[in-house]
Amino acid sequence: MVLDRKIAFIDLRDGSIEITPLSLDLREKFLGGRGINMYLLSRYYSSSLDPFSPENPLIFGAGLLTGTLGFGSRINITAKSPESGHLGDSSMGGEFGAELVKAGLSHLVITGKSKNPVYLLIRNGEIEIRDAQKLKGLDTVETQKRIRIELGDEKVRVACIGVAGENLVRYAAIRSGMKNAAGRTGMGAVMGSKNLKAVAVRGTLDISISEPEKYLRYYLNTLKKLMETKWAQALGKLGTPLLFKYANAMGILSVRNNQLTTVGDRGHHLEAEALEPYSTGMLSCFACPAHCRHRFSIEKGRYKGTKGEGPEYASIGSFGTKLGNLDLENIIYAVELCNLYGLDTISTGSYIAWAMELYQRGIINQERTGLPLVWGDGESVIELIHLIANRKDFGNILAEGPFAKKVFGEASHDYLLEVKNFPIEMTDERLPKSFALGMATSTRGACHMRSRPSLDILGLPNEVLKRIYGGSVSNNFSSYSGKGRMVWWHELLNAVSDALGVCRFLTVFSSPHALQYRQFSRLISLSTGLNLGAKDLKTIGERIYTLERMMLIRDGFSRQEDTLPKRYFSEPVPEGPARGEVILREEFDKMLDEYYRLHGWDQNGVPKRTTLKRLDLIDENQG
Amino acid sequence: MRIKVDKKKCSGCHLCEMVCSLFHLGVINTEKSAIRIRKDDLDSSQNIPILCNQCKEMKCLNGEEVREGLEKKRFIWAIKRAEQCPFDALTVFGENAYHCDLCGGTPQCVKVCTPKALRIS
Repeated sequence: MVLDRKIAFIDLRDGSIEITPLSLDLREKFLGGRGINMYLLSRYYSSSLDPFSPENPLIFGAGLLTGTLGFGSRINITAKSPESGHLGDSSMGGEFGAELVKAGLSHLVITGKSKNPVYLLIRNGEIEIRDAQKLKGLDTVETQKRIRIELGDEKVRVACIGVAGENLVRYAAIRSGMKNAAGRTGMGAVMGSKNLKAVAVRGTLDISISEPEKYLRYYLNTLKKLMETKWAQALGKLGTPLLFKYANAMGILSVRNNQLTTVGDRGHHLEAEALEPYSTGMLSCFACPAHCRHRFSIEKGRYKGTKGEGPEYASIGSFGTKLGNLDLENIIYAVELCNLYGLDTISTGSYIAWAMELYQRGIINQERTGLPLVWGDGESVIELIHLIANRKDFGNILAEGPFAKKVFGEASHDYLLEVKNFPIEMTDERLPKSFALGMATSTRGACHMRSRPSLDILGLPNEVLKRIYGGSVSNNFSSYSGKGRMVWWHELLNAVSDALGVCRFLTVFSSPHALQYRQFSRLISLSTGLNLGAKDLKTIGERIYTLERMMLIRDGFSRQEDTLPKRYFSEPVPEGPARGEVILREEFDKMLDEYYRLHGWDQNGVPKRTTLKRLDLIDENQG
Repeated sequence: MRIKVDKKKCSGCHLCEMVCSLFHLGVINTEKSAIRIRKDDLDSSQNIPILCNQCKEMKCLNGEEVREGLEKKRFIWAIKRAEQCPFDALTVFGENAYHCDLCGGTPQCVKVCTPKALRIS
């Protein structure tokens, strides 16, 4: 049964392994994936917990519906983040999560530090700690290949770190397959700090289904409706790069570290259509009908022979416009290099953009950087990626991420655009106010995916938005009206979809007809037998989000930290379609008030006792 | 009737394998499916869906005195038959081989194949 999947506690210090069932009570309160991960993290979390200490738990959590026909099969990886110093969490697609489930496990909690490099091997419920000395220094693809050869099993799925994780680069990723990454918040660095090179999994167990016939019928029906949406069709043809064109046309891109927000007509160099000559087909994650992943090959020129998957919109933005770079082949190569080293592409691009602006303003110079950091200089970017991953020269400073502020001094601070010590991504949020608020409130620091409130971009009638959100939300994306409600609503839904392992792209995100609570409820009940209605699921979303918030409160955060980079408040967008847009403090505060009220948090953003009681979180609050 | 494969279109999602086992056995197990996707996720090679070709001359049944029509409708087969298949088209897992019975006329794998790598011909 789906509900029989177990949790394993692994202590790398002494090699002890304990495998136990997950209680039904925990499933009903947190479902799985990110939900149960947060429950587990909250047991260890404190403001004094050093992310690089053996006590920081590295938690893998497959979604409740991962491995089933649940639209995505994702896994969340969670720990205290060495990048921000606060809550860390990242979701990964591909096949690894489903394989863990096929092996009879749902969650892993890894603590301690091994003396020597090791990897975990999980086969149908059995866990073994194996020597990884020979894997040291290998890139993320080669590591996976070697493990398969060692085990003589090409069906083993591996999540691993590369050189960046081994070197504790604070934004190192955990990778699986050619492209899948738990990229954000430095989970690969936590793995490196434990001397854990990889987790290899092979599972062949049955996943029994509560009501197989009804389930299959319901799935086929839901699938048909989903695939009829324009969004799903476009995604399957062009992948996430399709978003680039819109972001550029609207003026919501980060260009030169958000000094500008569009590249105008020159954007066609980086649009989805420009990728087509390199694309050799579209791929899917496990159990996903959307097949939104490009597979590419560069056949000639400087980067001849580069092959892989991607790049996604976020990476194109991060190594493209954000760095003033319109050379698509250079961007593809840079992204692939990050994948092999196991570096998060969004953060890597963001810190390089920060360094480039400091260079532009003379706050740092070539004496410090060792190479010219001029906007659009793709070759320097490639060189810098090598230096960061290997922690050499200037790369050793940038490998510290936001902590490099100490080295660069006070004049540098405002040019690292961040929220809660975590960098703004490939976009600019001065125009779309819902996104702006979502960035400010996201529990893992600046992140467009924690809420991803994009339905107001579609120009839907206000009545439709009111029906979805249960209150007034303006369909004008530059308006502040109702956006507190919108962000709150999406935060809850996304917490639930992450707890289920359902891909964000298939939920109410860019199509009102895509999946949400009603469909989740049916899929859960028909596959697991758990009866949780739409309202119950929404409450679970509240519980997960409020629990995450409580960890931030333990770090001393409150309303003051739910804010945006100074540039967003003080510098109107200078040109392009978003020209003149800026965040007005008073209006922003009103959004925040509405947002707190809906969450049941006080004016300072602290969850009220009545809310904790209603969500059954009183115990968790004691930490 | 047979299921025709256009391997260039296969996205490697494994949904076909999942619904095959679910339809026949009431469980999801990609190993217990009459269709299997050969996929190397660390390589740029093509994904290849493999399943019974519904050959007119059933070499898989060589040496057996059985009614072909009846056997075609069976999902679980003996491993020996898989070994006799000239195309290595049957899945073998544990004690059994898995053979495509076309779901009695409405193949479920075709229904979930959104890139249209599988179609009925």
